[in-house]
Amino acid sequence: MVGSPVTLLADAGKRPVARRGVLSRKWSGILEPYLYVSPAIILIVAVMLMPLVLGLSYAFRDIRILNPFSGGFIGLAHFQTLMQDSAFFQALLNTAWWTFGSLLFQFSLGLILALLLNRHFVGRRLVQALVFLPWAVPTFLSGLNWAWLFNPVVGPLPHWFTALGIMDSPFNILSDPDLAMWGPIVANIWFGIPFFAITLLAALQSIPSDLYEAAAIDGATTRQQFFSITLPFLAPTIAITLMLRTIWIANFADLIVVMTNGGPADSTQIVASYIFTQAFRRLDFGYASAIAAVLLVLLLAYALSVIALRRAMSHSS
Amino acid sequence: MASIEIANARKSYGAVHVLHGIDLAIADGEFIVLVGPSGCGKSTLLRMIAGLEDITSGDIRIGDDIVNDLQPRDRDIAMVFQSYALYPHMTVAQNMSYALTLRKTAKERIAESLAGVSEILGLNALLDRRPKALSGGQRQRVAMGRAIVRKPRAFLFDEPLSNLDARLREQMRTEIRKLHRRLNATSVYVTHDQIEAMTMADRIVAMHDGIIQQVGTPIEIYDHPANIFVASFIGSPAMNFLHGTCIKTDTTSAIRFADGHILPVAPRPGLYAGQEITLGARPEHVAIAAPETPGALPARVDLIEPMGLSTLIHVTLAGHELKIFTMDRPAFAIDSTIHIAFDIDKTHIFDRNSELRLPPVIKAPEETTKETSGANGT
Repeated sequence: MVGSPVTLLADAGKRPVARRGVLSRKWSGILEPYLYVSPAIILIVAVMLMPLVLGLSYAFRDIRILNPFSGGFIGLAHFQTLMQDSAFFQALLNTAWWTFGSLLFQFSLGLILALLLNRHFVGRRLVQALVFLPWAVPTFLSGLNWAWLFNPVVGPLPHWFTALGIMDSPFNILSDPDLAMWGPIVANIWFGIPFFAITLLAALQSIPSDLYEAAAIDGATTRQQFFSITLPFLAPTIAITLMLRTIWIANFADLIVVMTNGGPADSTQIVASYIFTQAFRRLDFGYASAIAAVLLVLLLAYALSVIALRRAMSHSS
Repeated sequence: MASIEIANARKSYGAVHVLHGIDLAIADGEFIVLVGPSGCGKSTLLRMIAGLEDITSGDIRIGDDIVNDLQPRDRDIAMVFQSYALYPHMTVAQNMSYALTLRKTAKERIAESLAGVSEILGLNALLDRRPKALSGGQRQRVAMGRAIVRKPRAFLFDEPLSNLDARLREQMRTEIRKLHRRLNATSVYVTHDQIEAMTMADRIVAMHDGIIQQVGTPIEIYDHPANIFVASFIGSPAMNFLHGTCIKTDTTSAIRFADGHILPVAPRPGLYAGQEITLGARPEHVAIAAPETPGALPARVDLIEPMGLSTLIHVTLAGHELKIFTMDRPAFAIDSTIHIAFDIDKTHIFDRNSELRLPPVIKAPEETTKETSGANGT
């Protein structure tokens, strides 16, 4: 019935056997896989590698936006200046304070919150959703809000501290060089707890409950169960989140720029905000790039040492 | 080691009643198997003994202590879980010695116990491995070792073999049994597998819907099931059931099936004419008979299952599907008609309404005691 047209069509679909030469077939065999991955490679080179190389190259050039005669290659001059720059070293110190001060509280409070949320209670789902809220607020809004909260004219916090006897009289800690760093740190703790709470909660929920039952029967108290089951199970998550957050917080200048702008008297200047100041306030892109390069090396060294430590730990135990 | 006594123990989750008043006395050193279909409450009962579930009402006593309000760690019992629940970040040795470490047992004592137990279970070569690097059977052994090392007052097993393949399960069954003989430890073993129950138990506790149906030795339960549930649950291939009506003269009783066939049954008290009854016959108590045999009934062959040692013949009789167990190797054609005869002395009669077995008139005196002790479970 339909025999002949079908045969014709089938014949029409066939192409003549390829007559390409052996050499071109060999080349296409080699190139073919690269062709398939090329979109990803091109994307990575265009948006990651090129800017990185370009940025690093700025560190060795004199690039000031407002100086039309700048742009020349100056070798290691920026790095020599950096070694004499006391503001930079102060910023480095502040970065450590800012990073580990925030991280310690974010982690420990986040862990406590995760443990609390892992218990069964009425309205648990709702509370879990609410806990995530600070993470969803734009950081510059959080920063402004916290700045206002610390302001004795509009905010309640200084008055509460005075009432509790922590302060003699209401004043703005953001304008006290000794205390100013605690402002952004408190805001950062509030902002960062949900991240730890949610990731640790997910890890907690993946621990099989019969392990706790086995431990209870083996004679472990709640505290012993925490140390011999919960912590070992959380360890990989803790390691990876601590490392990620350390790098993020070290680079995270939003709250500081919004709340104190590095002041008073550079007392809250961290390396990231110092780079921001150098690049966009003083428009010295060359010097800013040199600082960024140093920060990059420091963070890389940190990440590598954490990974090495973790590898050593998992091998030894 | 200690005895366990459960008195009128109940468990409810809100309005859902899981256990309805459990009474059970487990002697010191006894191996008790709780058996029943899933959802019958056997695991809940075990977890209540372990202290992992609260007791809604009633008492559980281990040794001389009422343990209702004691934490699991204060009950001095050991449990083997279905999932084994080995600590994945600890080695085999750490897993087994964890309980002793928590009790601050001296290191030499721990090493001593560990060496002894790993010798018994053949775990010597595996002590430094993590559970991840063990096979299912090895993990099972470690879970056992973790329980044994502590020398607890009682062992609780929650379907410990159900994650193993058939051959390994058979092997572990014998090993657990031998181990029990060696340690003489009070053990409560939960399973849904009636073969495990039959082969391992000193006494079987058959449970259904949160109620103990029958307590007895495996043979008591097999030969004198208290009701239709126990009769159908214990035994593989399962017992055949034929529904019919009782007809009765002064001296004889018989069951009449829906298709009019009549089968005489042994007289027993409580049987009255017109009663709806169920005849229960184990496959090995139904035989292929010559057509002229008195009491032989015609049946249609549906399927023949050769099992090597024996053969299982599926037939249809009076609208009921029946299985016949034979050591012969018959060559019947499918759909052909054969005649079958029941071993009347070994068949059971159940009341259709109460589902209880109607025990026959006592003939042999040695049957008396077993009969009464076995059938009182409900």
